[in-house]
Amino acid sequence: MKSIRDRRTEKLANNVSEYTEQALETIRKMQETAQTPEELKDIDELSEEQMQMLSPEAFSRVAFDKAQAEKGGYSDYSYWGSTLRMFFRQKFPVFLLCLLVLIVAFTSVQPYIPGQRDANRINDNEITGVPDSNVPPSGKYWLGTNAIGQDLWSRIWFGARTSLYIGFVVAFADAVIGIVMGLLWGYVRKLDFLFTELYNVLSNVPQTIILILISYIMRPGMNTMIVAMAATGWLALARFIRNQVVIIRDRDYNLASRCLGTPTRRIILKNLLPHMVSVIMLRMALSIPMAIGNEVFLTYVGLGLPITIPSLGNLINEGRKIVTVPSLHFQLIAPAAVLSIVTISFYLIGNAFSDAADPRNHV
Amino acid sequence: MLGYLVKRLLRSVITLFIIVVIVFVMLRQMPVEGYFNDYDNMTPEAVQNALQNMGLLDPIPTQLTRFIKDFVRGDLGVSYRYRVNYPIAKIVADKAPLSLTFGGIAMLIGLPLGFGLGILMARSKGKWIAGIGTAYIVIMQSVPLAVIYLVIQLVFTSLFRIPLLYSSSNPRTWILPIATLALPTIATYGLWLRRYMVDEQNRDYIKLAKAKGVPSKFIWYRHVFRNAVVPLVQLIPASILATLSGSIYVESLYSIPGMGGLLVDVIKRQDNTMVQALVILFAAVSILGLLLGDLLMVLVDPRISLTAKTRTR
Amino acid sequence: MENNRILSINDLHVKFSLRGQVLHALRGISLDVLKGESLAIVGESGSGKSVFVKNLNGLLDNNGWIDEGTIMYYGLPEEPEGINLAQFKTEKDWLRVRGNHIAMVMQDPMTSLNPLKTIGSQLCEALNLHQGLSGALAQAKAVELLRDVGIREPQVRIRQYPHQFSGGMRQRVVIAMAMACSPRVLICDEPTTALDVTIQAQILDLIKDLKQKHHLTTIYITHDLGVVANVADRIAVMYSGDIVEIGTCEEVFYNPQHPYTWALLSSLPQLGKKDEDLFAIAGTPPNLFFKVRGDAFAPRNPYALAIDFLHRPPYFEVSPTHKARTWLLDPRAPKVEPPPAIKAIGNLKPGGEQV
Repeated sequence: MKSIRDRRTEKLANNVSEYTEQALETIRKMQETAQTPEELKDIDELSEEQMQMLSPEAFSRVAFDKAQAEKGGYSDYSYWGSTLRMFFRQKFPVFLLCLLVLIVAFTSVQPYIPGQRDANRINDNEITGVPDSNVPPSGKYWLGTNAIGQDLWSRIWFGARTSLYIGFVVAFADAVIGIVMGLLWGYVRKLDFLFTELYNVLSNVPQTIILILISYIMRPGMNTMIVAMAATGWLALARFIRNQVVIIRDRDYNLASRCLGTPTRRIILKNLLPHMVSVIMLRMALSIPMAIGNEVFLTYVGLGLPITIPSLGNLINEGRKIVTVPSLHFQLIAPAAVLSIVTISFYLIGNAFSDAADPRNHV
Repeated sequence: MLGYLVKRLLRSVITLFIIVVIVFVMLRQMPVEGYFNDYDNMTPEAVQNALQNMGLLDPIPTQLTRFIKDFVRGDLGVSYRYRVNYPIAKIVADKAPLSLTFGGIAMLIGLPLGFGLGILMARSKGKWIAGIGTAYIVIMQSVPLAVIYLVIQLVFTSLFRIPLLYSSSNPRTWILPIATLALPTIATYGLWLRRYMVDEQNRDYIKLAKAKGVPSKFIWYRHVFRNAVVPLVQLIPASILATLSGSIYVESLYSIPGMGGLLVDVIKRQDNTMVQALVILFAAVSILGLLLGDLLMVLVDPRISLTAKTRTR
Repeated sequence: MENNRILSINDLHVKFSLRGQVLHALRGISLDVLKGESLAIVGESGSGKSVFVKNLNGLLDNNGWIDEGTIMYYGLPEEPEGINLAQFKTEKDWLRVRGNHIAMVMQDPMTSLNPLKTIGSQLCEALNLHQGLSGALAQAKAVELLRDVGIREPQVRIRQYPHQFSGGMRQRVVIAMAMACSPRVLICDEPTTALDVTIQAQILDLIKDLKQKHHLTTIYITHDLGVVANVADRIAVMYSGDIVEIGTCEEVFYNPQHPYTWALLSSLPQLGKKDEDLFAIAGTPPNLFFKVRGDAFAPRNPYALAIDFLHRPPYFEVSPTHKARTWLLDPRAPKVEPPPAIKAIGNLKPGGEQV
């Protein structure tokens, strides 16, 4: 117990920052004018005898320095600076972020790397001429092949590319639609009733039902899938934006700011925008794994992409057929692992970012 | 209080009505193949005659009124492709009890376990056990359920030799589906209970209770847990009713002849009337669940009964 | 002198760890609380006054700890030599004094009652714990307590929930709850800040009455000097986690010595002249993440001496009951006239004389 406290105290001693530098500067200046005996310089609290040693100059009046008075408080606070600092202090999310960047970068360049097989090519065995079907992972096929002899390594990266593409597009669409709808909902009072009603209706129906219904009405495919997901994904963000807009008008601290003559532009920039941007980023980060999950779901229920466009959902769905054949489990494990890493990473990074963006966590 | 109940009920009815109208009108725009099993072999006259007989050539408002009247009486219409001329209500009545039983048992198991997990995590904040709980919740929340379920089945097929496919006569085959169904419930309720408990823990009245000398075990159960459970009570009816539509994943993985996948089946067969009936039914069930949740809140939260206007959430 | 203390705090240092940094919230507080007195601790937000009283009933947040110092409590009959609250570790230790010895009234009555439990059940909880009452007996006692704090129709009110009470009424319930524990020391943490001005006086009067009736020792925390003048026998002025001046109510109001006390008193709106700006203290309090050197108030102090930036001033005694931490009281210091507003208060004192 004691040792932890000691360590904390040590940390305190090491806390040299701009403020202390300034203070030390002042102290040095004062020490010169005060003509303090050398041995007292570093002692804060003096004993009776030490007090006797003080020179009369020490008691001279000092000019009041307004800047110095202001300096004492909290040092220059920057919202984004603090947010980024808090985020990068969390080691695991930062590690996941690096991993994710690597995965995204690799899926984008993978097809251009020489020697990669086409994801849809059926690979024939050079010797026998029959397709290399269900080959376990080997030097030739790093992750093995599937039942018709397609290279799983290529398919997984193709699939990751498809799923991430869907994820990013949906996240982007959610954000854009959410912001526009939210602003309209908040600013145009006439639309308030309409939007509230729409929100009530849509939020009363399970999202999976809406996904299925839209996919049924439209032709299955990439665009249908994106439209179906974006149809409901914007709701939460729109509601949030709408509430923020209403706050611009009503909230106490803004009222206080306005009384103090702060222009509305400044209130929006300083008080609301940082909060809004962090929530939007959190929403986007979380809607990517959600979209990837929905893609898996829609594929699972037969409303997904054709197998000629590999996606993580397709690969998982194909894995479903071999779940009872232990020797073929490799065909399921690799896509499941990639999918899990990607979704968990987005989820955790999103949450870590939202923690970091919360001003209450800033020191 | 009565005012609140009436208002809340009215709100649900209106929402349901809007959904019925939208779904009904949308499905009327679908190609008419969706009403016949042998459309390709039919003459245009035969199609017209049949549509006339089904009442599908009437003006849409007339059809809608008829549908709503039937719907109120519990008649969902008949299927034209899935099971020709068979009442949809009967199809649902055959399949729903099994899904409800599985889902209900899974809720019965998952809810207490989820609460247990939530309490455990809130009380052991920062310890390794909370870390494991968090990892579990993160996985359940972020990884698509299809993957989780497949991996579970994969593990069990390799490790155990118990029969995996459901058989109504062999209760041992019920265990795995129920356990799998309970997993997300545990995570969801554990996550929210922990979050609410941590919130409650920092409230002023907890500090005051401590200051007046209430031992922490009383504080945890009389104040923190009790107050944290209240907002969750709202979710429970919806969770139970949601099991009525069945889990597409679990039921298809274990070949359980329940509701899960019924919607998918009829979509694949392009059975318009069944798609329409099921979508409306599921929406109705969800609306009912939320309604019951709000009504339940009136019982457990004294603040609501008197202030009709303000909803807590 | 020795025997009439109920609490004696000596050189109390409290630190917090926040996101890997250490905040030195209390920097060596020494204070005696006398039996039956009414002590007010004043200071601006962030001066550490709330943190200070949280040490008295073990409610310091989990990231805070007592680094040094003792808190002796002399109210336990089985510990006539006093017991050191600073060494309490477990909840079991604290339950010996929480509520039944040291009770508390908090700032916001709107949030300090459990919204989902009736007033009666919350009162009975305390009665059950501290007086062993249950069932009808506890109910009867609860009704009596509510009547004592001036709530009409207590038999009806006891079955109601907090949201059915107004702010002032809730604060009365909170006070009744504190009294249900039959404490010896009552800590009032800004008891009237969240209330309407008209209600404030009523609540203060109620606390004063109960203090008389039950021989309580009361400790007020406030930044409202009006409250202080109304209720306090003695005043301790806190700045940056330290008591800079302490004395009787008269001494601190009419003969303040520390420049911070001067500044605080000058900011009283009652002293402002028409058409003049209200006095405000320049600058902001120091950031306690950094080590404070010398007098923490020095950078904001128009009367600062060179030495204020170097060494922490000791307490200089003005009278046996009055002391202040400022180098201005050192005999070598130049004579400094307090600001005119302070002299004005001094002149308000009936038959007052200038020092």
